[in-house]
Amino acid sequence: MKSNTDKKTLARLQSKEAVLLFIFIGVFVLMSVLSPTTFLTWRNLQSMAFQLPELGIFAIAMMVVIVSGGMNLSITYTAALSSIIGGLVLSKMTAAGIGPGPTILAGIATFFVVGLACGALNGVIVADIGIAPMLATLGTSTLFEGICLNITKGGAISGFPDAFLWFGNATILGVPFPMIVFVVVVAAAYFLMERSPFGFKIYMIGCNPTVTSYSGVNVKKNLHRVYLFSALLCAIAGILMSSRYNSAKESYGSSYMMQSISAAVLGGTDISGGYGRIFGTVLAVMIIQVISSGLNILGVNRFIINVIMGGILILVLTINFISSGRKANAK
Amino acid sequence: MSRTRKFMIILMVLLAMTGLAFAQAKKVTIVVMPKLIGIPYFNASEVGAKKAGEDLGINVIYTGPTTADAAEQVRMLEDFISKGVDAICVAPNDPAALTPVLKKAKAAGIVVLDWDTPADKSIVDLSVHQIDDVVYGQHCWDLLVKEMGDSGDYAILTGGLSAANLNGWIDAGLSYAKTKYPKLHLVTDKVPTDEKQQVAYQKALDLIKAYPNLKGIIGISTPTPIGAAQAVQEKGLKNKIAVVGTALPTDSRPYLEDGSLRVVTLWDPSKLGYLTVVLANDLLKGKKPVNGQEIANVGKITVKADGKTVIMGPPTDFTKENAKNFAF
Amino acid sequence: MKVAQRLKQSRELGILLILVVVSIVITLVAPAFFSIENLFDILKSNVVLAIMAIGMLPVILTGGIDVSVSSMVAAVTIIVGKFLMNVSGNIFLAFLVGCLSGTIMGLINGLLVAKLKIPPIVATLGTMSIILGVSLYYTNGNWITGLPKNFIDFGRITIGSFYRQGEEMIGFPIQLLFLILVAVLTWFILRHTLVGRGIYAVGGNRVSAERVGYNVDRITIFLYAYEGFIVGLAGVVHTSIMRQVDPNAFNGFEMQVISAVVLGGASSLGGYGSVSGTLVGVALFSVINNGLILMHIPTFWQKIVVGIVLIASIGFDVTQKRYRESHNTKVDIEEA
Repeated sequence: MKSNTDKKTLARLQSKEAVLLFIFIGVFVLMSVLSPTTFLTWRNLQSMAFQLPELGIFAIAMMVVIVSGGMNLSITYTAALSSIIGGLVLSKMTAAGIGPGPTILAGIATFFVVGLACGALNGVIVADIGIAPMLATLGTSTLFEGICLNITKGGAISGFPDAFLWFGNATILGVPFPMIVFVVVVAAAYFLMERSPFGFKIYMIGCNPTVTSYSGVNVKKNLHRVYLFSALLCAIAGILMSSRYNSAKESYGSSYMMQSISAAVLGGTDISGGYGRIFGTVLAVMIIQVISSGLNILGVNRFIINVIMGGILILVLTINFISSGRKANAK
Repeated sequence: MSRTRKFMIILMVLLAMTGLAFAQAKKVTIVVMPKLIGIPYFNASEVGAKKAGEDLGINVIYTGPTTADAAEQVRMLEDFISKGVDAICVAPNDPAALTPVLKKAKAAGIVVLDWDTPADKSIVDLSVHQIDDVVYGQHCWDLLVKEMGDSGDYAILTGGLSAANLNGWIDAGLSYAKTKYPKLHLVTDKVPTDEKQQVAYQKALDLIKAYPNLKGIIGISTPTPIGAAQAVQEKGLKNKIAVVGTALPTDSRPYLEDGSLRVVTLWDPSKLGYLTVVLANDLLKGKKPVNGQEIANVGKITVKADGKTVIMGPPTDFTKENAKNFAF
Repeated sequence: MKVAQRLKQSRELGILLILVVVSIVITLVAPAFFSIENLFDILKSNVVLAIMAIGMLPVILTGGIDVSVSSMVAAVTIIVGKFLMNVSGNIFLAFLVGCLSGTIMGLINGLLVAKLKIPPIVATLGTMSIILGVSLYYTNGNWITGLPKNFIDFGRITIGSFYRQGEEMIGFPIQLLFLILVAVLTWFILRHTLVGRGIYAVGGNRVSAERVGYNVDRITIFLYAYEGFIVGLAGVVHTSIMRQVDPNAFNGFEMQVISAVVLGGASSLGGYGSVSGTLVGVALFSVINNGLILMHIPTFWQKIVVGIVLIASIGFDVTQKRYRESHNTKVDIEEA
C-alpha cells in the first residue's frame, strides 16, 4: 500500500518536472533558432546567468513558504530592508575610513541579522498569533516598506566599498559569482527541504497542520524555521542586488514579488501547500529567464511578453491536468 | 510518443505567439529606454524618438520595463548589451543602480547616454536633460506663488517618495522657497500618490479637511495635479485653493478649462525623445553637441560647461487658453 | 437581548470593535473625521473597492482567490471608455457593455478553474498577465479623456443635499446606490438561494458538497462569472467618478481587494464570511487610510503606522476569536 502511493507520487513529480524540462529545452532551442547570432552567444548566456539568481533565490524563498501551506508577500521588502540597513553599515563604515575587509564583514552580517529579524517577525505573527500568512506578510511588507522609506526618505543608499561590488559583478572562470551563490542556495534548499527531517515536517505541515501536530511535530517551531529560512534567502538576494546595483533602495526588485509566485507555481508547487520540488522551481525560473531575455532580444513588446508568460502559465497547468487525467484514466 | 507530441505542440504554440516581427537590417541601432513603458508621458517621448529614427534612417528600439523598477531596467539593459547595439540612452529609475550595468555597456563599446533623469555623470558620454532640475523646481514654486500669493499654507503631492527626479525638483523648490518666499508654509511633508489620479484625489480631499487654511496644492508627476484639481473642483473650492503642477496638457484640459487647475508646466516629451536620438546618432558619428546648436524640430539647445550636459530648453506653461493647441 | 446575543456570537464582532476604536481615536485627534462631509468623501473614494470586495467574497468563500480583478477592472474601464467615445454615450448601454465584458472575463477564469482544474491563484495570475498585457499593449497606457458630458454629469449626481458648501452640493453620491445594489444582491444570493448554500458548502468541504449533490463545477463557474459581472459594474462606477480612463489606475489593486475581504472575516480557506463582514473590512481599510493625513501623521511614518495597525487589528481579531471558540467549546461540554 505504502509503496504503491510512493510510486504514484514519484510518477506524478516526474511527469510535472519532465513537462517543465521539455518546455525549457523547447524555448531555449526556439530562441536560439530565432536569433542565433545574439541569443546563443557566450555573452548572452553569461548575462542571463547574472540575471537569473535574483528571481531564482526569491522564487525559492517563496516556494518553501508555500510548501508549508503559507505565503510570503514580504520577500522583496525583507530583502530591501536588509539591504538598506546593511547598506547603511557599509557606507557609514567606508565613510569613516574603515578598511574594506571589516566593513564588508560587518555589512554582510547586518544583512543577515536584519533579514532574519524580519523572518522571525513573520514567524511569530503566523505561527504564534495565528494570522493567515497572506494577511500577515502583507502587513509586515507594508511595515518593512515604511521602515525603509523612513530611513532613506525615498533616496538610495550608496557609497559602498568597491570590493563589495565583487559579489554581484565578478566572474569565476567565466561563471558569474551570483550564479555560484544560486547553485549553493539550490543545493542547500534541496537538502534541507527534500533530504532532511526538517523538510519532511514542512511538507507534512503543508498537507495538514492539525494532523501533523497530533503526530508529535512541533508545528510552531517548524513554521518559525521556514519563515527564517525564507528570510535568510531574501537577505542573500538583497546582498546580490545591492552589489549588482551598487546601492540600496526600497523599490529595488519590487517586480519580483508576483514573478516569484508565478515561478513557484509554474514549477509545480501546490499553492495550497504540501507539494513542490526545488528542481521544478529552478526550471521554472530558467524558463522565465530564457523567454524574457529571448523575446527582449527579438524586440517583442514588453506587454506582449507579459501576455506570453501568462499564456505559458495556463498552458503548463493545463498540460499537467490533461496528463494527470490521462494517467488516471489509464488506471 | 505523447512526450514528443507535447513538445511539438508547445514549440508550435510558442512560435505562433512570438510572431515574425523581427526583420532587422544591419543599421545603426539605438536603444532608448524610459523608466517604464505604458504611461502617457513616456508614450509621447516614444513618438519623438521613433520619428527621429525615421528621419535619420536608423533603427530605434524604444522599450523599457512595465513597472518603474531599476532591477528590471538592469536586466533589460544586459540583454541589449548581449544583443550588441550601438548606443544606449536610458532614463534611470535610480542613478546609482545602473552604474555597474552602464560600465559593462561601455566596456562592450556601446555609447551610453542618459535622458530625462541623470545617471552617474562619470560614466555617460552625454546627458540629455529637458531642463535644469533646479530651474524647473524654482519655476514650479514661482507658478504656485503667482496663483496663491506669497503667503499661506500649501501642500505637496508627489508621484512617489523614491522617484529621484521628482525629489530633485521638490528639494530645489523647497530650498528656493525658504529664501525667496519665507511666508509660504508647507503644512506637511510631501504626500505620495502612487502615480495615480485616484490616489491623488483621495489624498487631496484628506489634505483639504486636515488643513482648513490650505491655499495651494502643488502636484509633482503627471497624474497628480489632475487628481488634486478634481478634489478641489468637487468641493467647490477652486477660488480658494490654487492647484498647480506638472502635467500633460491633453489630460489636464478639462480641469484647466474650469479653473480648478490653474496652470501646469512641462516640456514636450516627444521633442525630448527626438533630441535624444539625434544627439546619440551624432555622437556615434563622432560629433559632439555645441552650445547654442540648432536642432531641427527641437530648437536651440544649451550645453553646459562640462561639454556633456545638454539642456533642451525652458518648459512650457499650459493654461486654460493654450492647452488645446498641444497634442500630447 | 437577542440582538446582543447574536452580535456576541458573530465572527465580525472583533473587527467591528476595532473599526469603532480606530474611528474614535481618529475623531479625538482630528474632529474633522466625524463629519458628514468626510464620511461621504470616504464612501465615494472607496465605493469601487467595496463593490469589488463584495464581488470577491463568494470566490474566497469557496477557498478560491482572484488576483486578476485589478486587470479585469482596468480592461473594463478601457472598453467602456472606448465605447462611450466611439459608439454611444448612452449610460445604460455603457453599464451593459461594462458588465458584459466583465462577465466574459470572469467566465474565462471560472472555466479555467472548474474545467481545467487549475488552482485559482495560478489561473488568475495567468489571466492577469494576459488581460493586463493586452490592455496596455492596446492603449499603450494612454488615458482616455473627454468622455461625453452626459456620462460625466451622471457621475456627479447626488441624492438629497445635506448642506451646501461653495458651489457644490454635498449629498449622497449616486455611486453608493450601486454598492447597495451589489451588497443586497450578493447577500440575497448567499443567504437565500441554493447557489449560495452551495458556495458555503463547497468552501466548507468540497467533496462533501459534491456528494450531497451540488454541481461544484457549475457553482464555481457561476461565481467567477458573477464576480466578473460585479467587477464590470465597478469599472463603470470608477469611470463615472474619475471621468477619464487611466489604464494603469488599478496596478496593485488586487491585494487591497483581497485583504479587505479577508480582513472582514472571510476565511481564505473557505466556508466563512459575510457581506456585512466584508463591508466592515473595507471600512476599516478606508478609515485607516483617511485618518493618516487627518491626524497629521508625517509622510514617512504613514506606512509604518498602517503596517502596525493592520497586524495589530488582525492579531486582536484572531486571538479573541480563538479565545471565544475555546470558551464556547467548554460551555458545550458543560451543557452536555
